[in-house]
Amino acid sequence: MSNEFAAQLSRRRFIQYGSLALGAGVVAACSGGSSPGGGSADLGENPIKVGVMYSTTGTIAIVEKSLQDATFLAIEQINTGTGPWEGRGEGIAGRKIQKVVVNPDSNWDLYNQMSKRLIDEDQVVCVLGCYTSASRKSVLPVFEEKDSLLYYPVYYEGNECSSNVFYTGAAPNQQITDSIPYCYDNFGPKGFFIGSDYIYPKESNRIAKAELEKAGGTVVGDEYAALGTTEFITIINKIKAAKPDFVLSNLVGDSIPAFYRQFKDAGITSKDIPIMAYPTTEEEIQAMGPEYSTGHYTSFNYFQTVDTPENKLFVEQFKEMFGGNRVTNGVMEAAYLQTFFMAQAMEQVLKEGGELNTATIREATRGQEFNAPQGKVKIDPENYHTYLHSRIGRWKEDGQADIVFSTDSAVKPIAWSQALYKGRVCVHPSPDDRSDPTKETGKDLTPVFL
Amino acid sequence: MLDAALSSIAFPLLPIFFLAQEGTEAIGGFSMASLLNQTLNGIGIVGILLLTGLGLAITFGVMRIINLAHGEFIMLGAYVTFVMQDWFGMDLLLTIPFAFIVTAIIGGIVELTIIRRLYGRPLETLLATWGLSIVLQGVVKLIFTAQLKYVKSPAYLSGNVLLMSDASGSPLIAISYYRLFIVAIALALLALTIYLFYSTAWGREIRAVTQNRDMAKCLGVNTKLVDMGTFAYGCGLAGVAGAVISALKTVAPPMGQDYLVDAWMVVVTGGVDKLIGILAGSLLIGEANAIIAFILNDPTARVIVLAAVIVLIRYKPEGLFTVQKRS
Repeated sequence: MSNEFAAQLSRRRFIQYGSLALGAGVVAACSGGSSPGGGSADLGENPIKVGVMYSTTGTIAIVEKSLQDATFLAIEQINTGTGPWEGRGEGIAGRKIQKVVVNPDSNWDLYNQMSKRLIDEDQVVCVLGCYTSASRKSVLPVFEEKDSLLYYPVYYEGNECSSNVFYTGAAPNQQITDSIPYCYDNFGPKGFFIGSDYIYPKESNRIAKAELEKAGGTVVGDEYAALGTTEFITIINKIKAAKPDFVLSNLVGDSIPAFYRQFKDAGITSKDIPIMAYPTTEEEIQAMGPEYSTGHYTSFNYFQTVDTPENKLFVEQFKEMFGGNRVTNGVMEAAYLQTFFMAQAMEQVLKEGGELNTATIREATRGQEFNAPQGKVKIDPENYHTYLHSRIGRWKEDGQADIVFSTDSAVKPIAWSQALYKGRVCVHPSPDDRSDPTKETGKDLTPVFL
Repeated sequence: MLDAALSSIAFPLLPIFFLAQEGTEAIGGFSMASLLNQTLNGIGIVGILLLTGLGLAITFGVMRIINLAHGEFIMLGAYVTFVMQDWFGMDLLLTIPFAFIVTAIIGGIVELTIIRRLYGRPLETLLATWGLSIVLQGVVKLIFTAQLKYVKSPAYLSGNVLLMSDASGSPLIAISYYRLFIVAIALALLALTIYLFYSTAWGREIRAVTQNRDMAKCLGVNTKLVDMGTFAYGCGLAGVAGAVISALKTVAPPMGQDYLVDAWMVVVTGGVDKLIGILAGSLLIGEANAIIAFILNDPTARVIVLAAVIVLIRYKPEGLFTVQKRS
């Protein structure tokens, strides 16, 4: 066999393959490359260049494409002066946003390379993007080294505090801290924790475990499945054998519908063992079919059923732009609202006669407030995370959530998990000189509301 | 020979038995009944492996085409089911023939335009089918977007077979009807395929062509037609697999990748010459996976099984069930 291969791989053939592979690489690079403008609309004089970095191909594309859609909707509304931007004129103080779109193909290394290119070659003033913690960790050194800004719209495991990232998704205390006592009170003390096998689910479950033990409960099982796995018969059997009061799921992506389907198929109803999940949103519920999720729970900052006039408008306009059968979810809402945080900060800088650069935008973004679909939210001026509402939804037959728990107003974010690092907080100096913001208070932090 | 092969698998598994004993104490309530339940439920994994591997057993096992696009034909089958349900409101069972026909036609076109030019050149075939898998994923993503798709499973297949009860009367063993249905379909397709290959004129021609193409041609066999038909049949079986598993798993453009590696492991372990080898391969890998994952955990089980397969191939490259041939 090997002789055959060797004979076939003559020098000439090798050159042919080599050039073929090279050609394919070039094509891939081009198709994954940046597309300045991104739309046919006239951007007028002196547009503001903003990087949009979400994968539209590869395994994570399922989620990141919807984040890109929500971001595009926000940019469209800012450029045309509609939606929440009504009455502020077209663009930001007369200048429109020019989106520079890159596609990192769900490849963590490409996120790193493409963020370098956005900052160095395309000279964008800031970047909206990333979904997984792995991709954020991949680009973090780039943004810190080049002192640029990333707006990151995803609930994450916390324990990070950078002068170059604004975190507009939930910190642990805005998702885990309320949901675990809820499970303990309503379902019982025994939790079975599952998740996909990578950084976010493991960290998140570690924090949840500390919270559950603080409440007096126990973790009767802790299981992880390889990212992308769709075979859950073993984990489900272990759940059956351990007889927990509830399951906490941090499965992500394509694993979610497969797990809920096989869970019900194995004869376990939401009455027997309810599932509390963080990454399961309207989007995944639609894909699995609501009959599999009815009666299970998700803890998130936003649900499509949140009753605010801003949300009504957001859902309506999103469906108008991307199709009536689409649903909105919490991550999309964060991707949407952070674009307005960015735009408001830029407007403030321009109106004060300043120049758009990392330092001015950073200072202007601190403390920005916005009436988002989930309610009033604010960027915490100290730790660059976001005041968000903490909610728990119970899934109904129509695939939408019945909100069974909600804080009255947005909760102050705590970047460090207090169950793991008691008293550790993050306070950036003002103005930010990029010194280490970590402070040890040694005390229990009490919840602060907006 | 078989004993040697089995011991070569058992050897790397030995540490697990020790670990398992520790695990027994750690879990406490880890009873024989739940292990038995898991072993029986492993049949559910075996059924999916058998079903998803069967198409590859034909395109690779019989035709020796290194088909890296196998997973994408499974994906296409799932999308045919999605389209039939979404547009015409069809029951999942009724969509299965359509999944077979559509993927078989696409398979036939692929054979005609790409594979046909590459027979006897495994390296080129590998590159071409790899490229094809990227193209097929891209095309599906363009048409249906990257969103996960919803496929409705038939109501009459929901529920569980319950066996044995413990003291409190709750069942110890539960196997879902849908998993049993998958096993039944897989076995029926395997039986049909074996019948086609070993008891019909077409099967005889296929075997003649794969054993000695030139001689078969001299004897008047239309080798081109046989090749196309066989490849299309293999792809059609992958399509059926996609249709059936779509209700239990997730339908999305990259879904096929998940099944590709498993299908290859099954075909290579079972042996590429005998179709019945795939039954042994899927039983061995499915149950090994189920039991190790139950005692340890899922990611570890995958690593151990993959390592065991590599060791097996090192000592028995033809797989477990092969006919001795003169080389």
